[in-house]
Amino acid sequence: MTDGLQFNNIFLGGRGGTNPGHLKISSGGILWKKQGGGKAVEVDRADIVGVTWMKVPRTNQLSVLIKGGPWYKFTGFRDQDLSTLTNFFQSHGITPEEKQLSVSGRNWGEVDLNGNMLTFLVGSKQAFEVSLADVSQTQMQGKNDVILEFHVDDTTGANEKDSLMELSFHIPNNNTQYIGDENRP
Amino acid sequence: GDNRATSKASSDLVAYKNVNDVPPARDLMIQIDQKNEAVLLPIYGSMVPFHVSTIRTVSSQQDTNRTCYIRIIFNVPGSAFNPHDSNSLKHQGATYLKEVSFRSKDPRHISEVVQLIKTLRRHVMARESERAERAT
Repeated sequence: MTDGLQFNNIFLGGRGGTNPGHLKISSGGILWKKQGGGKAVEVDRADIVGVTWMKVPRTNQLSVLIKGGPWYKFTGFRDQDLSTLTNFFQSHGITPEEKQLSVSGRNWGEVDLNGNMLTFLVGSKQAFEVSLADVSQTQMQGKNDVILEFHVDDTTGANEKDSLMELSFHIPNNNTQYIGDENRP
Repeated sequence: GDNRATSKASSDLVAYKNVNDVPPARDLMIQIDQKNEAVLLPIYGSMVPFHVSTIRTVSSQQDTNRTCYIRIIFNVPGSAFNPHDSNSLKHQGATYLKEVSFRSKDPRHISEVVQLIKTLRRHVMARESERAERAT
């Protein structure tokens, strides 16, 4: 076996949408290049803190957490790629964790903060994730609401038709997850 | 879970049972899935479903540059038309997504989305209240 795995048609997801590209995973790290050139993402093996798997509609998503920094989300893996990749990561001392996606369509759950990622979990499954690095402003409204305003994304990689501008969460008085405000983003 | 349709409160409505039931993200734009009574929102490159019964109001606005804004407000406990009830007590300790807003360059698409959500919501609410009435 050569050192490394390669995948075509892997989408890098983010604030402005998704872009297809080519992904190469080797013992040195991870390299993703946008199809047709342009954006590239290079991650050194030493900077990878963890990886997670998640089944998403009709395909699979690999999330890579970087030391002190962002998550990268790669989508487009076939089911049979999972074991190959899991074995590869394990042979390099990284054990991928499995996450589950919530598709129940509920708007109540819990907010989990990990690094600069904010995850909204419904029934312990992930409904969505946003990066606090893209938040331009947070506001409290009344005693129970937190508003997150997002930067306008003008990067050339943005290809979504409708762009998220604002999110707010309501934390009822009987919520015991946040006592005091020091944990809020 | 309990499958007794008559005792089903609106908060028990589920958009999708399986991950693969969610329609593929064609374009990253707000979509309505009438069959599953779901509104799909593009958040960070993924389509995130919300059952239409979780939505309280939807509105849109347009600025001078033909940029459109759509605001979706969800049901949360304790608000004027949704006082604390057995459901909010059931989900004690939960955090609620209360509101999302999106910007769009396509006013026609946004007004269509607003209309579709309103109609679908009315349908589902009427059916659920009829169902609740029959149960009593």
